[in-house]
Amino acid sequence: MTIRVERLSSLTMEYFARPLAIAVFFVLVALLWTFAFQHVFAYPFVFLFFAAVMCSAWFGGFIAGIMAAAMSSFLVAFFFIPPVFSLSIAQEYRSYVTAFIVCAIAITTVSAARKRTELAIRGSRDVLEAAVEERTAELQQSNAEIKESERRLRLLTEAIPQQIWRTDRSGSIEYANRDLLQYLGISVEELSGDRFFEIFHPDDAASVKANWGEARGATAKLEVKARVRGADGSFRWFILRANPQFNEAGAIACWYCVHIDVEDQERAQQDLLVSQERLSRFSRTLSMAELAAAIAHELNQPLTAILTDAHACRRWLQMEPPNLDRAEVTADRIVRDSTRASQVVSRVRSLFSRTDYIREPGDLNAMIRELARLLRDEAMRRKIGLRLQLSEEVPVISLDRVQVQQLLLNLALNGMDAMAAVATNRSLEILTAKSSENEVQVTVRDHGVGLSNETKEHMFEPFFTTKQGGTGMGLAICRSIIEEHDGHIWAEPLDDGTAVHFTLRTNA
Amino acid sequence: MTDAALQPLVQTVYLIEDDASVCEALCDLLESAGIGVQRFGSAEEFLGSLTADMPGCLVLDVRLPGLSGMELQTRLAETGIPIPIIIMTAHGDIPMVRKALKAGAVEFLTKPFQDSELLEAIDQAFAADRARRQAESLIRSISARYDSLTARERQVIEMVTDGMMNKEIADELHLSLVTVKLYRKQVMEKMQADSLADLVKIRQKLGSVEK
Repeated sequence: MTIRVERLSSLTMEYFARPLAIAVFFVLVALLWTFAFQHVFAYPFVFLFFAAVMCSAWFGGFIAGIMAAAMSSFLVAFFFIPPVFSLSIAQEYRSYVTAFIVCAIAITTVSAARKRTELAIRGSRDVLEAAVEERTAELQQSNAEIKESERRLRLLTEAIPQQIWRTDRSGSIEYANRDLLQYLGISVEELSGDRFFEIFHPDDAASVKANWGEARGATAKLEVKARVRGADGSFRWFILRANPQFNEAGAIACWYCVHIDVEDQERAQQDLLVSQERLSRFSRTLSMAELAAAIAHELNQPLTAILTDAHACRRWLQMEPPNLDRAEVTADRIVRDSTRASQVVSRVRSLFSRTDYIREPGDLNAMIRELARLLRDEAMRRKIGLRLQLSEEVPVISLDRVQVQQLLLNLALNGMDAMAAVATNRSLEILTAKSSENEVQVTVRDHGVGLSNETKEHMFEPFFTTKQGGTGMGLAICRSIIEEHDGHIWAEPLDDGTAVHFTLRTNA
Repeated sequence: MTDAALQPLVQTVYLIEDDASVCEALCDLLESAGIGVQRFGSAEEFLGSLTADMPGCLVLDVRLPGLSGMELQTRLAETGIPIPIIIMTAHGDIPMVRKALKAGAVEFLTKPFQDSELLEAIDQAFAADRARRQAESLIRSISARYDSLTARERQVIEMVTDGMMNKEIADELHLSLVTVKLYRKQVMEKMQADSLADLVKIRQKLGSVEK
């Protein structure tokens, strides 16, 4: 109900009250001005009413125009058409009034139509403007986005911690990013054409040139490893990877290439190789009887001299008469050669007990991990699994790194040897634990042939061995290393295999 | 039996040892035993003073600077110098011993050794050397005697040692029995054979040389 009333009132407002008010306003203005000018003219001056009708129709629409026309007709008829102050119209003015009314209606129609057209035009212009504005905003937005992404891309190629270059169609470098130029310490112009190959190590330049030529010939990916000279003149190993980029027609547009720094990996690889070589050399020395043979030879020479001298001496003395002069000379030589023999012995001893050992803080767990890395290939070759169980409680200990490394290696190789003839559960475990307040314990456990009582008793003694061609020195050296570190080493026979434990003091 | 064998033979030990102490001691020992020694510091040094006729034996160490003892043994065998060799080593292993003995070494001594071991080995080597020399000089004198025979006499000696009777030889060579007997007597004289058995032995020795 109320809705209908409101609607009705708004309709009334739109189609009646507002046009009426506009019409009354303009007609009253026209009336007042007409009164003011009427006496100037000889005939009825009614043109201002046309203006009022026109304005009403313009501002109030068709309805206001009709209302203004009607009101104007009445007022004109009443005030200005004789007889004045009467609605009646003299005969001679009837056509005049009729013309007035027709003109007023025509003006209303035209003015309203004009107004409507104007409004329509203005409306569509507004719509158009809005659309244009919207499009402009969109364009600006996308422009900004493109700029941003371009900036990011440039930033990426410039700021990425990677060395990048791009060539032109012919394969000559035309762009290099900041990282690359900074590393090389040259400008991009110095990379164009064949000057590019000058950045490489002389030994590698030819191979880069050949690979690059081949890749370009086949338009295939390039991958080559070479040493590149840095701004400071030193060389680092890089892998160069380049991909061709094609245009829509399928022809080469450019090449993109990255230089990947592999110096550290390369160096680690080299270090590993060196360590492995050292390891294999060490294990070879230990596994062969060469050491024993060398010692035997060194000792047998003076012993031969002594024994032979002794025999000769006795012969000189047994002669009739005894040749005392010769016997004395020979006896002197026995003394000399005995001294030499004892020197050999002490030299051999010093070989196994270094007195110049160095103590420095060492991370036992890290050393074991390093050892495991070294032994990886050997273990793989022997089909043995390596398992580490390292306690994080183990502190940094003062020790002789080389000796302890040798000790660990020795125990690990022994463990592996013990499993040589065992088919199942071929795994070697190395464990660390903090066994007491100031002691750590390391265990090397194998699942090998195990220990006999005799072996257990004598295994740490020099020259005791159960291995074919063994020197019997390995575990003796281990024990002397541990004793130098004030620790203990012992073996524990298990149901399947052996555990060798040793302790090291943490406060030594 | 022959004049060459009757000549006094001076045999020497050629000692090749790089260790000065061992070398001195061995020289002293050999001297005390009345054996002459010539010492060399290396195999090359020995080869440098090598002559065709070196009566005695070689005593050498396996481990030498440059050419090793075993290599020297091979080298001498290749050049056909038949001197007996005694090898010493401070670290002998069985395969090495076997190889050395197979290649003709008289003895293989592992250092340190007793004087008797070395002296016995040297005695043995000298004996072998002497025996070889005697055999060689015997063959040399037999060859000389054989060369003095006439063609006819050589025919006769072959037939006689083949076991043919004088009559058969006479028929074969179309000679009279008396002539054959005369030839036979001359052959026995020239070849210094006392009996038929002697002649057969001489013929065998000759045959082995010819082969």
